[in-house]
Amino acid sequence: MIAAAILLLALLLPSLPLGEWRAFLLDTAQFAFLTSALALAWDLLARSGQLSLAHGAFFGLGAYAAALSAPALGTLPALLAGGLVAALASFLLGLATLRLHGMYFAIATLAFSEVMRTLVLKAQFTGGSIGLPVQPAFSGAFPLGSYYLAVAVLALSAGVSLLLSRGRWHYAMAATRQGEAVARVLGVPVVRVKLLTFGLSAFLGGLVGGVYAMKTLFLSPYDAFGLGRAVEALVVPIFGGLYTTSGPLLGGLIIVGLETWLRLRIGEGYLVIYGLVLILAILFLPRGLVGLFRKGVGRA
Amino acid sequence: MLRVEGLSKRFGGIVAAYGVNLEVHPGEILGVIGPNGAGKSTLLNLLSGLLRPDAGRIEFLGEEITQAPPEVRTWKGLGRAFQIVQPFPEMSVWENLMVGALYGKPGTGLKQAQRVVEEVIALTGLAPKAQTPAGELTLLEDKRLELARALATRPKLLLLDEVMAGLRPAEALEAVELIRRIRASGVTVVFIEHLMPVVQALADRVVVMDYGQVIALGHYDEVAANPRVREAYLGRAR
Repeated sequence: MIAAAILLLALLLPSLPLGEWRAFLLDTAQFAFLTSALALAWDLLARSGQLSLAHGAFFGLGAYAAALSAPALGTLPALLAGGLVAALASFLLGLATLRLHGMYFAIATLAFSEVMRTLVLKAQFTGGSIGLPVQPAFSGAFPLGSYYLAVAVLALSAGVSLLLSRGRWHYAMAATRQGEAVARVLGVPVVRVKLLTFGLSAFLGGLVGGVYAMKTLFLSPYDAFGLGRAVEALVVPIFGGLYTTSGPLLGGLIIVGLETWLRLRIGEGYLVIYGLVLILAILFLPRGLVGLFRKGVGRA
Repeated sequence: MLRVEGLSKRFGGIVAAYGVNLEVHPGEILGVIGPNGAGKSTLLNLLSGLLRPDAGRIEFLGEEITQAPPEVRTWKGLGRAFQIVQPFPEMSVWENLMVGALYGKPGTGLKQAQRVVEEVIALTGLAPKAQTPAGELTLLEDKRLELARALATRPKLLLLDEVMAGLRPAEALEAVELIRRIRASGVTVVFIEHLMPVVQALADRVVVMDYGQVIALGHYDEVAANPRVREAYLGRAR
């Protein structure tokens, strides 16, 4: 419901009378959509018990792969390529981290992020530390091209998230998270569940990165592979409500909105207030924003 | 039904299982007893695939499963309930059982799984608690859930690891009845137990383990009269 309403609003937003703030609002909204989509992707993986710090890297891999292949392939195939590169990387990482849990898994994924950033920084074809100019979505044929791509990626992430929050997959992922050994003894193919969610999550993260590249038109390893983005990918679902679809979705919009508003009002030092709000939210809303509206037993 | 030959497992210098030979017949209830540290739980972990043996082989329904992962053994019909109950705490009782019902046998649809859960929930008397979060159950209910969840995978052979531990005598009696009903429904049972009256009441045959080895095998009375068993186990307990 919430997801459908947000997506509808996102589609209609460019045609609303937004006045002189139109361009700024649409830009902010677009970054918020991408933040939400990355958070949804992260949450998907978290549902199977894997707390990743690699989503900055999947985002970066997707961004670079899409940027580098767009001139040859065109916009949509390039985005797909970005997603696939991220998914492939996650598959290899996933094989290595299968036996790791919790903190150890997180540390391994953090190391992976650092390795990826260093590789992109040192490589020639990525532009290294100078950065990489990116051609706009659809070669600039549609001014709102990347905006609608962001809406589409958000819709896809929310759709996948909703689909996997019910039925067989819901049970398999929740069981894997809440007791891996027991899940296996009950017949859950845990290895398959973990690798598939990893691949799917990274694929979506890669798509988000690709759209981001086509919006900012410039990539640098520090930005695209930043640890900040990996942290944001996990803060947003925790703030909004873990293992839900509306949580990361709303969380991304509110956090980006809040961050933008604070930066406008306070300017320098806005991060102090921003951090304070997040700390208070995590302290007093242990089940996230959506936990406020759902009393009693939440769905596992 | 289940044949174990020369099964061995060591952890560093500790031999948890050494040359264990065992045969489980279809339809029987086999009790496994032995002092603490005798290797009973290790044996169950080897059988359910949570541990891989250093040597030996395991055959289930005529197929070798020595190296098969746990989920594959479950799919073949080898079920397992744990000593330390480990429900999925954020799920309700119903959802816990759905995991076993959906994944215990590949290709089970949601509808079919729901029917299985309804049956299992009726058999184990958990119906009033179906929607309770598993993290809020009493010990007895936890134990029932553990058993029910293993049953939801529709096992042909069920491995039970001290499912009575911590229960009051009246509760243990109830559990004995439940295990009898499970056997009557066509499931072969192998159980580890410390409570001798329970073993006497339930087991068709008893295996006694000590220091990772099988030291006696037979009917309860024979085994209880065995001097080696008395020395290793019953004698020490007095």
